[in-house]
Amino acid sequence: MSTEAIFHPQAVAVARSRTAQQDPAWVRWGLTLFALGVVGLLVVIPVVNIFAEALSEGVGVYWNNLFADPDTRQSIILTLTVVPIALVANVIFGLTAAWATARFNFPGRTLLTALIDLPFSVSPVVAGLMFVLIFGLQGYFGPFLRRDGYSIMPYVISFLAAGLFVLLFFLFRPSNPQARCGFWKYPGLSVLAGSGVVFGLLFFAQQYFQVWPRNQSLKIIFATPGLVLATAFVTFPFVARELIPVMEAVGSEEELAAVSLGANGWQMFWDVTVPNIKWGLVYGIILCNARAMGEFGAVYVVSGHIAGKTDTMPLRIEKLFQEYNLPGSFAVASLLTLVAILTLVVKTQLERKIPTTANLPEPITTEAQL
Amino acid sequence: MSILIKDVSKRFGSFKALDNVSLEVPDGDLLALLGPSGSGKTTLLRVIAGLEVADCGTVLYPEEDITHHSARDRKVGFVFQHYALFRHMTVAENIGYGLKVRKTPKAQICERVDELLKLIRLDGFGTRYPGQLSGGQRQRVALARALAAQPRVLLLDEPFGALDAKVRQELRQWLRRLHENIHVTSIFVTHDQEEAFEVADRVVVMNEGKIEQIGSPDEVYDHPATPFVYKFLGNVNLFHGRMDDGKAYIHQSETEHVVYVRPHLLDIDRVPNGGDHFRAKIKHINSAGPLVKVEAITEWGAVVHVEMSQERFRNLQLLKEEAVFVIPKDVKVFQAYEGPRSK
Repeated sequence: MSTEAIFHPQAVAVARSRTAQQDPAWVRWGLTLFALGVVGLLVVIPVVNIFAEALSEGVGVYWNNLFADPDTRQSIILTLTVVPIALVANVIFGLTAAWATARFNFPGRTLLTALIDLPFSVSPVVAGLMFVLIFGLQGYFGPFLRRDGYSIMPYVISFLAAGLFVLLFFLFRPSNPQARCGFWKYPGLSVLAGSGVVFGLLFFAQQYFQVWPRNQSLKIIFATPGLVLATAFVTFPFVARELIPVMEAVGSEEELAAVSLGANGWQMFWDVTVPNIKWGLVYGIILCNARAMGEFGAVYVVSGHIAGKTDTMPLRIEKLFQEYNLPGSFAVASLLTLVAILTLVVKTQLERKIPTTANLPEPITTEAQL
Repeated sequence: MSILIKDVSKRFGSFKALDNVSLEVPDGDLLALLGPSGSGKTTLLRVIAGLEVADCGTVLYPEEDITHHSARDRKVGFVFQHYALFRHMTVAENIGYGLKVRKTPKAQICERVDELLKLIRLDGFGTRYPGQLSGGQRQRVALARALAAQPRVLLLDEPFGALDAKVRQELRQWLRRLHENIHVTSIFVTHDQEEAFEVADRVVVMNEGKIEQIGSPDEVYDHPATPFVYKFLGNVNLFHGRMDDGKAYIHQSETEHVVYVRPHLLDIDRVPNGGDHFRAKIKHINSAGPLVKVEAITEWGAVVHVEMSQERFRNLQLLKEEAVFVIPKDVKVFQAYEGPRSK
C-alpha cells in the first residue's frame, strides 16, 4: 500500500488501541459474541419463529385465521378503536403536562413530574384493578353507574362545551387592547358568565330533550370505556416524558421572540412550538401506540373476556393459545410483531431529528469568548 | 417614541431584581444599560418589552400607559443575546414573521424583507436557514427581524455577547451607523463598558437593581457619581483615608472615607517634587502595549497599580525593586459605607 509508507496507518491503529483500549482481543471478541448470542437467542429466533408458526400452514390459512374468525376480527376492530382514543387523550395530556412543567415554575411541579411516571412503576394489573375498584359493580361509583349511569353525561358534555367556550373566547379576543370593547374588556367576568350560560343551556337542553336514557346502567368496566381508560392510564407517560426534555432543550426564547413580534398564543404555538417539538411528539406517539396496542395486564383485568366483545388483540392471542389454536394465536401475534418492527424502524429514523441539548444547532458559550 | 419608566420594582422570590427604578428615554436616543450580571439590567429591558411583568410601577409611552399591555401589543423590536431565530424558517421567513402575524399582504412583506436584507448586507441569503449562517450574520438577521414591523422601540439584550471579539467590534460600529440612519429609540443591555461607551449616546449604570448614574459616556467616566460607578468603569486603586479641610489623607487605619485613583492618574518619580506623594517599591513592570503598567507596594503594604506612557517610562528608566515616589494627579473621595448605601 502506498499510503502506508507515508502515514503508517497500522502503526497508528495499534498505538491507539494500546493506549485507549487496554482490553486484549479475546475479551473484546468474547463480549461481542456473548451480546450477539443473547440477542439472537432471546430476540431474533423468537421473532422469526412467530412468523414461521403463523405461516406454517400457508398464506391462505394465515389469512383465514386473521379475518375469517369473527371473534378475532372483532378483537382487531376493538384494538383499532381503543388505541386511537387513548392516543388522542394522551397527546392532549402530554402536551399540557410538558408545557406546564417545561415553561412554568409552579408549586407541585416536581410532584407532577414524579406522578407522570407513576404508570411506569405500577404493575398494569394493579392499574386495571384500580379502575375496577372505582367503576366496577362493587366499586365507589358502581352502584350509581348501574342505577342511573347516563345521568352524568349531561354534566360531562356541558362541562366540555363550557371549556371549549373559554378556549374560543381567548382565541378570538382582539389582540389590540384599543380594539377591545364591550365584553372583550372584562375577560374574567365574560368568561365566567359566558361559560355558565353555555353550561346551563346545554345541560337543560339535554335534560329537556331526554338525550340520554334514564335509569339505565352505564357500563364502564367489562366494556369499551374501561378498556380505553386502562390503556390510556398505562401509556400516559410516553408523550409527556418525550416532550418535556425536548421542550426544555429548545427553550422558550423563540416563543418569546414570536410574541414580541406580535404573534398571539395560537400563532406562536403553531408557528414556533409545534415545528420545534414535532419530531419529539411523533416519537412519543409512536412509542405510546406500540405500548397501547400491546397492553395486556391492565386490559385483562377490566375487559371481562367477553369473546367478540371486549377482547383486544393481545387478549385474543392469549385466548387462542389457551384453546390450543396455535396457528391462530401466532397469526394475531404476527400482526402485533409487525407493528413492533415498524415502530422500531420509525423510532431509529426519528431519533436523529429530535433536538436535544447535545445536537442543537450551535452550543453557545458566552463567557468563554469574552 | 420616548419611554418613561416610573418606580418599577420586580422580585424573583427573595431576590430584588429591580428596586424602584425610574428612567426616561427620549425619542431617538441610543441608550446603554450597563452593569454587572445580576444588576437588573436585563430584567429592566424585559419589563419594557413586556416579556416580564413588573410587580409595581408603570411603563409609559407618550400619552399611553403600556404597563398592562402584553408583549405583542407594545410594538417593540426585541433582539436576544442568543439570536432566538426560528430555526425551521428561512432567513426571509424569519424577517417577515412579524409582518406575517400582523396580516400584511404578501407582496408588501417581500418588499420589506428585501429592503432589510440589503440593510443588513445579506441580500441573497434569504433562502438560507439560520443554521447555515455565522454568529454575526445571525445576529444581523435577528436585528432585521426586530426592525421589520417598524417597532416603536428597539430593545437589544446583550446583542453582541455571544460573538467573538472581532465580529463584535464590527457589529458595534455597524449598529451605531444603523441607528444614525433609522433613528429608532434603542436600548441595549451590556456588561462591557467599552461597548457601552462606543455605541451609546447615554449610559445608564446599574447595580443591585438600582440606577447608579445616568449620563453621557464622558460624564459617567470622568465624573462618577458613586464609588460603584468608579470601580465598575475601568481599573482603580483603592485607599482608605479621611477628609480634612478639603484634603484627603491616606492612612490605613482610617476608614471614614475611601479614596479612588485610576492607574493612569498616578505618576512615579524619583524625587518627591514637593506635592502630594507617598513612597512605594516597584514589584513588577509590564511594558508591552501602548501603556506601561507598573505594580508597586506602598509603605503600608498595599498594592498600587500605575500606568504611564512609554515615553515617560523611557525617561525614568525604572527598575524592579526600586524605591520611588508615587504622585497622584487626580483622586476621587467617597464616604466609606457598609451595607446599603446612604448616598
